[in-house]
Formats: sequence, structure tokens, C-alpha cells
Amino acid sequence: MGKLRYKLIREGITEGQIMPLNLVFVDFNDVIEAGLNCRNAAEIIGAQFSDPTAINIIDLDAVTTTSDGLMTEGAIVAMAASDHEKINPEFGYLEMMEVPYSKKRIEEEPHLKQWDIVYPGKRLIMGPKKKNLPIHCAAMTGRACNNNSGTEVWSIATMEELLMPILGQIEIVKGGDVMIGKTGEVISVGIGMVVGEEFARIIPGRAFHCGQTAHKSGDKAKNLKSHIPIIAAGKKTLAKYVIQALKAGMVPGRHIGPSPAVLSVAKLMNSPIDMDNIEQSAFDELASVGFTKEWIMEKVEKVSEEFILENADNIIPGGDGCKTLSSDDISEERFAVY
Amino acid sequence: MRLLHTKLPEFKRKMYAAAENGGNMPKPLILEGLENLKTAKMQSLRTGRIEVAIEELAKIDDVKEIQLLIRPRVPETEHTAIIKAIDKDGKTEKIILETLTILHGPEDLETFDCDNIDDRRAPIGRQG
Repeated sequence: MGKLRYKLIREGITEGQIMPLNLVFVDFNDVIEAGLNCRNAAEIIGAQFSDPTAINIIDLDAVTTTSDGLMTEGAIVAMAASDHEKINPEFGYLEMMEVPYSKKRIEEEPHLKQWDIVYPGKRLIMGPKKKNLPIHCAAMTGRACNNNSGTEVWSIATMEELLMPILGQIEIVKGGDVMIGKTGEVISVGIGMVVGEEFARIIPGRAFHCGQTAHKSGDKAKNLKSHIPIIAAGKKTLAKYVIQALKAGMVPGRHIGPSPAVLSVAKLMNSPIDMDNIEQSAFDELASVGFTKEWIMEKVEKVSEEFILENADNIIPGGDGCKTLSSDDISEERFAVY
Repeated sequence: MRLLHTKLPEFKRKMYAAAENGGNMPKPLILEGLENLKTAKMQSLRTGRIEVAIEELAKIDDVKEIQLLIRPRVPETEHTAIIKAIDKDGKTEKIILETLTILHGPEDLETFDCDNIDDRRAPIGRQG
């Protein structure tokens, strides 16, 4: 008999927000120590729940990228959706791609310079290796849909949805702080400021390049996700990764996406911003939530990294009615016995 | 609009007939999932097999009703959105084409209540 540790946020209401499914986060090291592979682990945990459940297995030693191109420590290596104790054999489980290291790829996807500079030798994990759905990187079983490579979940029965950006999930596995509330207009716009990646977790195939908006929907972009609940990392964590990217020489608009969070930190650090490479459609969406060209170009006194980290809650924009709290306050540690 | 070779009505007739005539007693058929189709050509090979399946279930004495639920084989479908601007004379002035993918509930939404499942489907994207 073995047992596998995982963290659970239950379906229902948490901090006033609808959790559309059970949310399960598994440390990849626990899967290895249990002598399991990821599919076995997902099936064992799925068998614990008759309710719809999203299961993400996270390797804290691997790295991945956010949609705006920040490289982060911790990556989803497998994702699943379960319902009635089962996982759909064709659509319910996906493993993620380990991206082979290549200088050519780093030239073509220049935000990956962070790999060489900050995380040399680390495994880089991105979107699914192989999937049966034509477009979405989603695992589906019964009432459960675990979408966008494990960063967005929704109930097929109620159609309620929740955003779970990768940094928040890493904090849940580590027991760090998370922010919970509504996504709001600023993050709704920021999600669209993507970088081009062949194996991207959400929009693979280098469908866009840095400086473009994936939304291309003008003043409608701010309302695409604004009403949806979100569990994200605390803003201090996000600030840390933005600072790290900027110090690695990443230029917003050229190497990393000009999301409001990135621009806010870059402006205070007096870091260069490639205004010429940002397309007008991206500027229009940014301006719709107050980040006009004039605001971006406005000269401000440079502040220290420490100041940004200490004041991250005020400096990093985004979220509507969000509160920051320990992830242990909203999740419970459990063990699947098998 | 009606296209040449439309067989959708014939498909429906065959299915109702199979439930009516397949067993010792006529069984009602509930057909769901084709409501939005105005016209379509159905795969003939599978039409025959589905008729056979309905007859097989209709032969079970204590079965009182047959349900035929048509769902996307892959629970994400790709669609084209055709956005047309029509002027006062009915002439089309401009068309914008967009894509729209739609996620649907997978088939297990309908199968969780039974363990006796005989899966005769072809692999995704294949005949046979």
C-alpha cells in the first residue's frame, strides 16, 4: 500500500469566489518518491473524487514561461481532468513537452535568454506533447475541463470558470502566498500580451510575436476575463519574476510581453521599453485600462528593487476585490492511499 | 437551403424505424443532438451500424425507450464565423471571416450511469 500527497482546494465557494471544480496540486517529487508515473498518479487521485476535479502535477525544479514571457521556477509537467472517479482515456490527461535546449531556439524566441542567464541547465517544460483536441490545450472528462495547459478550469455542467496563472499554483505547492478574487480588467488585458513560442502552453506555433496582442479586440479585451475568479501568486512573487527578467536584459515589447504588470515595474526601474515594436492594437488595449503611451513614457524617479518588492501590492496592478493570504488557508493537504 | 444529396431526413427515418421494428414491441426513440442541422450527408457505413445497434437494444425485452444522442467525437469543434453586412437592397457590402472553436462536453457526460458499455467507435479521425 502506498500513499501520495497532494493539496486540494474544494469545489464550492472559497473566499467568496466560485471554485468550479475540485483543484488538486501535486508535487512531481512526491510522484517520483511514490514510485509512480504521472498518469498513474493522476488516476489514483482522480479515483478519490466523484465530483469533477482538475489535477496538475508540478515540478518545482523545472522552469517554464508565463504568457508574457517571464521565466519561472516551477512548471506543470502533467495535467488531468477527472469525474466520477475516472479519467477520459482520450481527452482526460496530457503530459507536457520538455523543450530541447538549442541556441537557435533562443535566438528565435529571445525571451528564452532567461534560460541561459537565470536558469542554466534547468529542464524547460511548456505545452502538451500531444493532444487530441485541435486547438485548446485542454484535458476533459465528464463535467471537468482543465484548459490552457492547466491554468484555466471550468465546469462543463455549470459553465463556471476559474483562472489559475502558473505562479499561483507554484505557490500553492510550496505553501506560499496567493491572491484570490476576480480577474478584473487589467489582468484581462495583460493576458493578451503574449510572446511567440513554438511549444507555448496556451497559444503554440508562434502564432504571435512579442509586441502583439493575442486578443486583438480593442476595448473589448478588458471584459473578456474580468468577471472570472482568479487564484494567482501574491504580487510580491510576480514582482520578483518581473525584476529578474528585466535584470536579465529582457526589454518589454521586444523580448517579454508589455503587460501592465511588466510595464509598471519596468517604468519604476527606468528599464528600456521597445515602444516601436509594440503594435497599435496592443497600445489600444493597454490604453483602455489606463496604460496609455503617455503613462508608459512618463519619466519617474528610479526606485530600488527592494522598494518594488516591499510595495508590490501597490505597484503591480490587477485583480478586482482580491485579497492575499497564505495558500495553506484555502487548501488542505491530503493523501491518496492506493 | 437544401443541398443535393441531403440524407439527413432519411437518416432520421431509418433510426425511428429501427426502434419501431427492431424488437418484438415498438420502442420509442429519443433522438438528440442534430437539432441545429438543417441539412447534412451522414456517413452511410455508420448509419447502418447505428441502425443495427438500435435494433439490438430494441430486442431487449425490458427496454422501454431507446435514446440516440449525437455528440462531437472530439469535444472541440472548429467553426467559421461569417459576419455579413447587408445593405437596404439586400446586397452584401462586406464580409468578415473569423474562426471560432467550441468546446463541448465529452461523451462520458452521458455514460457515467452505466458500466455496460460496448465501445464500437473508430479511433479519432479514422474509418473502420
